[in-house]
Amino acid sequence: MAIMMPASDQAVLARRDAIVAALRAIVPGEGVIDSAAEMLPYESDGLMAYRQPPMVVVLPDTTEQVSRVLKYCFEQGIKVVPRGAGTSLSGGALPLADGVLLGLGKFKRIREIDFDNRVVVTEPGVTNLAISQAVAHAGFYYAPDPSSQIACSIGGNVAENSGGVHCLKYGMTTNNVLGCEIVLISGEIIRVGGKAAETSGYDLMGIITGSEGLLGVITEVTVRILQKPETARALMVGFGEVEAAGECVARIIGAGIIPGGMEMMDKPAIHAAEAFVHAGYPLDVEALLIIELDGPGVEVDELIGRVEAIAQGCGSTTCRISTSETERNLFWAGRKAAFPAVGRISPDYLCMDGTIPRGALPKALARIRELSKKYDLRVANVFHAGDGNLHPLILYDANKPGEMERAEAFGADILRVCVELGGVLTGEHGVGIEKRDLMPEMFSEIDLNQQQRLKCAFDARGLLNPGKVFPTLHRCAELGRVHVHRGKLAFPELPRF
Amino acid sequence: MCRSKPVDTLKVRDAGDVEQVVRAALASEQPLEIIGHGGKRLIGQPMATNALLDLSALNAVTAYEPNELIITVQAGAPLADVLSLIDSRNQQFAFEPVNTSQLLGTPDTGTIGGMIGAGLAGPRRIRAGGARDHLLGAHAVSGFGDSFKAGGRVVKNVTGYDLCKLLAGSWGTLAVMTEVTLKVMPRPESERTLMLRGLDDITANRAMTAALGSPFDVSGAAHVPNSAFRAGAGALADPLADLGSPRDAVTLLRLEGITASAIHRAAALAAILAPFGTAEILPDAASAAVWSSIRDVQPFAANGSLGGWPVWRIVCPPASGGALGELLARDTGGEVIYDWGGGLIWAALPPKPDAQAALLRQRVDAVGGHATLIRASEQVRRDVDVFHPQQPGLAALGERVRHSFDPKNILNRGRMARGSAT
Repeated sequence: MAIMMPASDQAVLARRDAIVAALRAIVPGEGVIDSAAEMLPYESDGLMAYRQPPMVVVLPDTTEQVSRVLKYCFEQGIKVVPRGAGTSLSGGALPLADGVLLGLGKFKRIREIDFDNRVVVTEPGVTNLAISQAVAHAGFYYAPDPSSQIACSIGGNVAENSGGVHCLKYGMTTNNVLGCEIVLISGEIIRVGGKAAETSGYDLMGIITGSEGLLGVITEVTVRILQKPETARALMVGFGEVEAAGECVARIIGAGIIPGGMEMMDKPAIHAAEAFVHAGYPLDVEALLIIELDGPGVEVDELIGRVEAIAQGCGSTTCRISTSETERNLFWAGRKAAFPAVGRISPDYLCMDGTIPRGALPKALARIRELSKKYDLRVANVFHAGDGNLHPLILYDANKPGEMERAEAFGADILRVCVELGGVLTGEHGVGIEKRDLMPEMFSEIDLNQQQRLKCAFDARGLLNPGKVFPTLHRCAELGRVHVHRGKLAFPELPRF
Repeated sequence: MCRSKPVDTLKVRDAGDVEQVVRAALASEQPLEIIGHGGKRLIGQPMATNALLDLSALNAVTAYEPNELIITVQAGAPLADVLSLIDSRNQQFAFEPVNTSQLLGTPDTGTIGGMIGAGLAGPRRIRAGGARDHLLGAHAVSGFGDSFKAGGRVVKNVTGYDLCKLLAGSWGTLAVMTEVTLKVMPRPESERTLMLRGLDDITANRAMTAALGSPFDVSGAAHVPNSAFRAGAGALADPLADLGSPRDAVTLLRLEGITASAIHRAAALAAILAPFGTAEILPDAASAAVWSSIRDVQPFAANGSLGGWPVWRIVCPPASGGALGELLARDTGGEVIYDWGGGLIWAALPPKPDAQAALLRQRVDAVGGHATLIRASEQVRRDVDVFHPQQPGLAALGERVRHSFDPKNILNRGRMARGSAT
């Protein structure tokens, strides 16, 4: 394993039997799993290159049990790794050998649907898609739609601040969550926000969202739901050059049009997807844009016309406009299946997730091409072009010695390019363990210290999901020290009034 | 107590100066009041500070990239200048920042830092989110005296904790922002407002709920009840008063977008709202005028007939708003205005030593809302919790979060928590 995890606490491991017994007293029956065979499914998440059996798996089904489990671990100094559906692509739910893996899979109930306030109150183990399905009969849906929405849980979405194809227009998880119940490592149960648009005091909901399981365990979530747009239509536009496609994206946004979704694929991705789903993608283009406009029919029709004109102005070589839902879904089918499609043409692939300013797209692609040559590994690119979120898929074969390490080094270089071009390390997959050691590329030690101080406000002993997000762990006492520079700071040059 | 000593104003020129000032404040254990133009100093608990950290000279636009939908500006940049800059490219801050100058009776000024620190969003919050949803990145100096970076310069970013969310609406109590990157959005081509007359608060709440539950992308839903006091609407021309008699209740629903779409949706929404009456339609300029009046709470303007009354800002589950507001108005003899489909209530209450806090908060708590005292005399703000008291566990967590940014309580000491200004 290239990434070092915190050293195991031998004293905790020596007490394993007693710990399992104590957890069984809190969560009876099959809620505590300690046999190696049964723990196997929990060894890794969506970042499958990394595996680690946990010390024990606990699957509570009430908030009170979660609270008691955490309080016990807190008092005993035992590390805890929370896990939702286990679809994290950054290793956020990778277990620790001396840690309790706390699965929220039994929290599967939608607690309340409140159409008047346009919210759903749900347990965290409910899948993203199930929320939309539960309100579909009244024309509502939950907007963030990560590709894994069939499987991923809403609790995990909150922990990772998940995005999706439609977040250009409708925002990420953080823009669509109003409140939660969270259990701190001390066992304390805290309610933040609710059905109102804003929380009181500091925006703790905003900080919990995207905290990757390091601040607390979410046991209930209140999300906003929206009415489905009246209609949606998509354009599928091909370009002979990637630069022209990038220009087209910039001009659409510049014209004041915010599409529901705006996706780009490069030639290798187009070919892989077309071979897999036969969506009718043009094979002779260098870049393909799928642009979806949604809203009232009269608006969509007009915007389709405007976007088509912009695309032509940018030198598009092909343009198809969906005339039916079937056709629109077909346009999307290839894009949505891009990852498995790439999986068919390569034994293994690494999915990266950086964000860059939209305007830097052509530059980023050129750099990725150079890196592809340097590392001698193929790459297929799919992007959420509207918001500059890149998903380069690096193709490799784990059975060839050294190839996985080369793929990881290639991926790290891509993320460095993203930061260099004014972007960030991760747009929607999270830092987890995958990008942990790259954090200093984007943040200084002072920046990271401030983030870790916040962690201390929630978990001063550092027991929740340690080894994720932060490359270096500091003691809270050390981080909290104020350095007073007495006598050196007269700043006489400052004007005083 | 407050300002017993002469106040030093430290006008900083760059982030380095801010670090120096905060470090010096730490060394001398002197808390700082952080100001831009100072227009919102009247909001919050009276503070225990005897030096002003003035950011108004940090006023440059660092970068404006319309095609990237972002602008990076220093925290002291005048809001009006930034708004006119982005307006020149047909862009806007979609959360419609509230201009509090009329409500508070302060000069019409304000900075970007003040806009984010207060985090007060206008009518479009129901559709576009609040200030917190538009702050992509920030450079700030913590109470440790260290410059740190939060977030980035792109819309889609989950790298590390989202510290920007905390900075928005923290009233300068966590860190001194020196530069921020904000999301800008295209200004809609046109707008239409549907206006229903004469509805009582509960019926109006139902009409707004119906509108917001429709697929027509309503971007403003407000209700101004009939008023016993606002006749004349003060010295300022209030567009709401121009809609007819200022005593009439009006319910307003806004639709924005390309012209054809706004017209289409206005007609479709009018049909849905037919059970509530026949909607009149206000086109672009008339529509814009009433929404800026709602946004800035003009009916309660400091120089209007209710200018002497304390004003509360109540955030609650939207469908509970009508009943809550009606109850508050009845029990206190006050007046209310609803925005956010009922989810935001501005309440002007007849003056009492506690601004009727106990009664109001009991009612607000009952529906799961919270209330902030936005306008009141210094004495009242000293005696009342300006920000909504929280459950002990949540309050303690919030205090630990504050402590993690500013352990010596150097920045705007006591502004958000009564009794801590010592």
